[in-house]
Amino acid sequence: MVNFTTDQIRTIMDNKLNIRNMSVIAHVDHGKSTLTDSLVGKAGIIAAAKAGETRFTDTRKDEQERCITIKSTAISLYYELSKDDLQYIKQDRDPEGNPHFLINLIDSPGHVDFSSEVTAALRVTDGALVVVDCVSGVCVQTETVLRQAIAERIKPVLFMNKMDLALLTLQIEKEDLYQTFQRIIESINVIIATYSHESNPMGNIDVDPKKGTVGFGSGLHGWAFTLKDFAKMYVKKFGISEEKLTKRLWGDNFYNSKEKKWYKESSLGERGFTQYILSPIYQIFDTCMKATKEDALKFAEKLGVKLTVEEKDLEQKQLLKTMMRKWLPAGDALLQMIVFHLPSPVTAQKYRCEMLYEGPMDDKCALAVKACDPNGELMMYISKMVPTSDKGRFYAFGRVFSGTVKTGQKVRIMGPNYVPGKKEDLYEKSIQRTILMMGRYVEPIEDVPCGNICGLVGVDQYLIKTGTISTFKDAHNMRVMKFSVSPVVRVAVECVNPSDLPKLVEGLKRLAKSDPMVQCTIEESGEHIIAGAGELHLEICLKDLEEDHACIPIKKSDPVVSYRETVSEESNIMCLSKSPNKHNRLYMKARPLPEGCPEAIDNGDVTPRQEMKERAKYLAEKFDMDVGECRKIWCFGPEGMGPNLLMDVTKGVQYLNEIKDSCVAGFQWATKEGVLCEENVRGVRFDLHDVTLHTDAIHRGGGQIIPTARRCLYACMLTAEPRIMEPVYLVEIQCPEVAVGGIFTCLNKRRGVVFENNQIGHTPQFLVKAYLPVNESFGFTGDLRSHTGGQAFPQCVFDHWQILPGNPMEASSKPGEVVTTTRKRKGLKEGIPSLDNYLDKL
Amino acid sequence: MASTESFSSSGEAVISRKIDILPCQKTSKSVDIDTVCELQKCVTWIKSRGFTRVALQFPDEMLHLAVAVVTQLQTRLDNVKVFILGDTSYGSCCVDEVAAQHYVADSIIHFGHSCLSPTRRLPVLYVFGQEPLDVEDCAEQISKLLPDPATKLILMYETVYHYAVGCLSERLSKRCKKLVLSHLVIPGEGCPDSEGDKPLKQTEQSSDHNGVCLCKCGRKFVLSKQTELVDFAVLYIGGESATLTNLIFSFKECPFFTYNPRDRIARKENVNVNKLLMKRYFMIERAKDANIVGILIGTLGVSHYLDILSRLQELLKIAGKKSYTFVVGKINVPKLANFMEVDVFVLVACPENTLLDSSEFYKPVVTPYEMEIACNANQEWTADFITDFHQILPGGSHFVELSAEDGLTTDVSLISGRLRTIGTEDTPETGTMILPRSETMAVTTVQAHSAGEYLSSRSWQGLEKKTGETPIVKAVEGQHGIAMGYVHEGEPST
Repeated sequence: MVNFTTDQIRTIMDNKLNIRNMSVIAHVDHGKSTLTDSLVGKAGIIAAAKAGETRFTDTRKDEQERCITIKSTAISLYYELSKDDLQYIKQDRDPEGNPHFLINLIDSPGHVDFSSEVTAALRVTDGALVVVDCVSGVCVQTETVLRQAIAERIKPVLFMNKMDLALLTLQIEKEDLYQTFQRIIESINVIIATYSHESNPMGNIDVDPKKGTVGFGSGLHGWAFTLKDFAKMYVKKFGISEEKLTKRLWGDNFYNSKEKKWYKESSLGERGFTQYILSPIYQIFDTCMKATKEDALKFAEKLGVKLTVEEKDLEQKQLLKTMMRKWLPAGDALLQMIVFHLPSPVTAQKYRCEMLYEGPMDDKCALAVKACDPNGELMMYISKMVPTSDKGRFYAFGRVFSGTVKTGQKVRIMGPNYVPGKKEDLYEKSIQRTILMMGRYVEPIEDVPCGNICGLVGVDQYLIKTGTISTFKDAHNMRVMKFSVSPVVRVAVECVNPSDLPKLVEGLKRLAKSDPMVQCTIEESGEHIIAGAGELHLEICLKDLEEDHACIPIKKSDPVVSYRETVSEESNIMCLSKSPNKHNRLYMKARPLPEGCPEAIDNGDVTPRQEMKERAKYLAEKFDMDVGECRKIWCFGPEGMGPNLLMDVTKGVQYLNEIKDSCVAGFQWATKEGVLCEENVRGVRFDLHDVTLHTDAIHRGGGQIIPTARRCLYACMLTAEPRIMEPVYLVEIQCPEVAVGGIFTCLNKRRGVVFENNQIGHTPQFLVKAYLPVNESFGFTGDLRSHTGGQAFPQCVFDHWQILPGNPMEASSKPGEVVTTTRKRKGLKEGIPSLDNYLDKL
Repeated sequence: MASTESFSSSGEAVISRKIDILPCQKTSKSVDIDTVCELQKCVTWIKSRGFTRVALQFPDEMLHLAVAVVTQLQTRLDNVKVFILGDTSYGSCCVDEVAAQHYVADSIIHFGHSCLSPTRRLPVLYVFGQEPLDVEDCAEQISKLLPDPATKLILMYETVYHYAVGCLSERLSKRCKKLVLSHLVIPGEGCPDSEGDKPLKQTEQSSDHNGVCLCKCGRKFVLSKQTELVDFAVLYIGGESATLTNLIFSFKECPFFTYNPRDRIARKENVNVNKLLMKRYFMIERAKDANIVGILIGTLGVSHYLDILSRLQELLKIAGKKSYTFVVGKINVPKLANFMEVDVFVLVACPENTLLDSSEFYKPVVTPYEMEIACNANQEWTADFITDFHQILPGGSHFVELSAEDGLTTDVSLISGRLRTIGTEDTPETGTMILPRSETMAVTTVQAHSAGEYLSSRSWQGLEKKTGETPIVKAVEGQHGIAMGYVHEGEPST
């Protein structure tokens, strides 16, 4: 580890070409935290007083106990490159050849429930180290996070982890191992190609061992290499340039040692990679584990590994570890890969700016971000809040994209709802303190220039979870992050004593702030709901709430699933509702939106902010909707942006504009609280066919129209074969073949549908993919374990909404039960209100 | 909640409403007006005080007696003008002083159920009326429901059973040794603790050598020194009503047993007060979220309603919220929905009518106490629920000074998920170079800080002239007929 004073760190921060901001991403249990530990051990910057403590990035007690990362943690690394190695940097580099590098690394959780933490980490970094367990290969979470990284324009490099496992435990043959590597690299490149656009400004971001963007090794044993490391060793032997040799060491290049020639056919020689890289490694493993100690020590000498006297006393595995670590130190290989191939802020911000900034690309902020100008206007994005030791207060953690953020500086704090020129969600406040965040420690620092990651004190109360900080009066927001998971699992919490309600509410607010994903809400029934991405996520949230945030005893309900209400047919009659004064009539019908359309609205392909004609064209082409009608979309709902549409299909009605606001208000209300059990409505278009209005404006005001519109919309839904939709997980389960049967039994019991069942490469592992209703997923993990002897672990991620078969109007059907229980929970009257409450006759 | 009906029923309901007239009153013509309406008491009262213009206020269900009562009174009194007031627009439980003053009345006789809210302007005589109560059956049912004679009970009742309560308590105390009888605190007849023109309060607590005298919701009872309120159960004589709800809220630590003399059923009330309190807490959060608050005047009879109005206005001003005052008579959904810009309404009314189940309303309606908790940092939520607004006025048990904290505090709303601010502060200057977005943006979700801002963000802002753009056509005949169905409606039009 490196001991630095804050001043020394501050000096390196100025050299923006020598900064790398990167996150470590992977599937759960692929060894991120362990790998990060070996990097920290090599190059972690820590305050001198704190040296010597371990498990740097798992800062919470439960993280250490469970051996799982829950929160992403940033740490800084320092690396000094030798002058010769500077040539490997292909991007803009320091003209004076400054070899000091500052690497800000964020270790992120791998469990799918905490994906939101990964999203927050990706936003503030420019590059990603994708870690893949070479035994289990590319898994669902690898794909999810990689896809997100590419969408955020984060350049990936790949690291094949757990080679020790492949060699020691599984004893994979050399050629098989090469094939495994090859396959993993291919699948990673397939993902990259799928999700990156053709005109990707990052250039070619495929990972390729020949380019040095793939590393191999073992985080646990602390050794790693790239092809370059071996090429350097062999360059004298072959007498060709290092660059050429590197290319020969991968792919179908076979060396015939008799003829001293490289061939393309396998029959004519030995594969470069297996012969010159895997062979020596296998040999070390063999000698250390099987041969005598003398042989092993002799071999070490041959490799040029110098062992100390104590190290020579080590046995087998320990000796192996030490030898490998000395021969191929993980720190150097990885840090070099990071420094060479991941972009500096200067390089990255040029192409990331347009993705990050919502404003025009030629305003002061955009220009400063593109140039990464420390003297420009300040632009900083806050990606998450980190709890401080002071209860209820948070550090705002984020990345400075332009300008310099200083202690005491007066800044504009803009929340996600801020619209330039408006006052909403905007605060002008001074920054109390800027701080450096290193693992679990913080150090005050005077100021932080752009390209760096830091924390702020004193802005937390003006932000909910994320936001933009700027000094420029006309600055727009930086784009909000898009999460790959949604909070679909919910529990209701209650305090034992009603006088504790304010404490509970306060606790919920703190919880909401401390986690990028969790949603805490109060429902009209008075219930306090916590919604998280999965059972594990909720468990952690509840524990935090009870112990840290609210500090009162809490009762929690069983998990509740949120449902959606929809329709399956067009309304069978024209629905008429009269206003309370009987003078105004609304005629409407409901029908389902075309398939895929609600998803398009969710994804933002169709939005209320789009230009009206453009949107109509898109809807007409994609979903075969009538262009004319699509031009007359009055609004989206609920909340003005949900996946339901109110469309005006009337012909020549006078004063229609006048009641538009009232109809829209009624529509927002009705789609937020559907008729069946006051759940959100999804995927319904409501057509306003005709209206009759009173001639006097006073008799067709909001008071007459809003309740009527709501009643009419309810009548529309009731006459259009209403249905209940439930959320469905995509489940991925990895297990040995024997356990597959147990998985099928488990899934069948829970209405799960398997749609993919494959062997993973040559391994004995199987990968089962299935759809599982969220409602049925509670206790699934435990059930699965008991059915498979603890060999199968599922990863569940919300995938889509699906209609729950059956008619909710029949109380005995499955959706009928859902309606009944939901109504009961919300304290509503029993039974769906009958149609004549809403439908009027002439 | 029953109070909703008395407030939010539409006009149609009034016409078709079946007035609850008790069988005995309806069938026998020989309703003993003298007894039921306590005519002798009225006469004595009027004579002794020397009133000359007396207003009679009847609720709907006693209106059929009105003429007879007036005739009787007129014949027994000389030189006294007696007349009937129309029912009040707010709730018949409250005395309608304002209406009486229109006729320059110098006193009011209030008939029927009353919420016993104190009044100020005019002297009032309460005549509660009498409904049959089978004392024997009641005692029997209760001994079945509560077999343990050691149960500590407080007896409360609907005002119509006031006449029979002495008899009942005598009968009950034979079995139940620990029965505490509550008395009605009738405004004007003087509460033992109030003197002169000191405002009469519904809730008070005082101790003397006998024990603790509790005065709450117009009920007063004495608990001996060794006992605590939490040890008691409440026995309530009467049906489900706003009165009962109000009592359950106010005595939330006690279990409630009821006997309904109309259907002769005794039962335990299974109201989950915690659930109700959570629901009300949600309302408080809504109130905190609001930018524009409408203050609804729901009474003109309860004393100090102007004080609470000005208190609310001041409170809201300090909290940085814009307030508007509304007097709309009887409250219903369409009336309030006309004010789309208002985020939350606060209803100033008597304790029984103040709790309004507003789920059918476009915007929620809260009580003054809830608004006080939402906006006044000094007022702490203790899970006591106050329905009587006098308690938060100076001199009341829950009165606290308005928080004098300057500047603004921010926190997150758990309803909208947005930041909200309490307090006022100069808002930062915003750039002027930026033009507003196109009108395709949703309009209804815009948070305005005053009604003017809201109106300017509406999509429709009044008739557009469009001179020359609209083709000139001859006037055509429109719909005519009555609103239930116009003349040509129902015929196939296209």
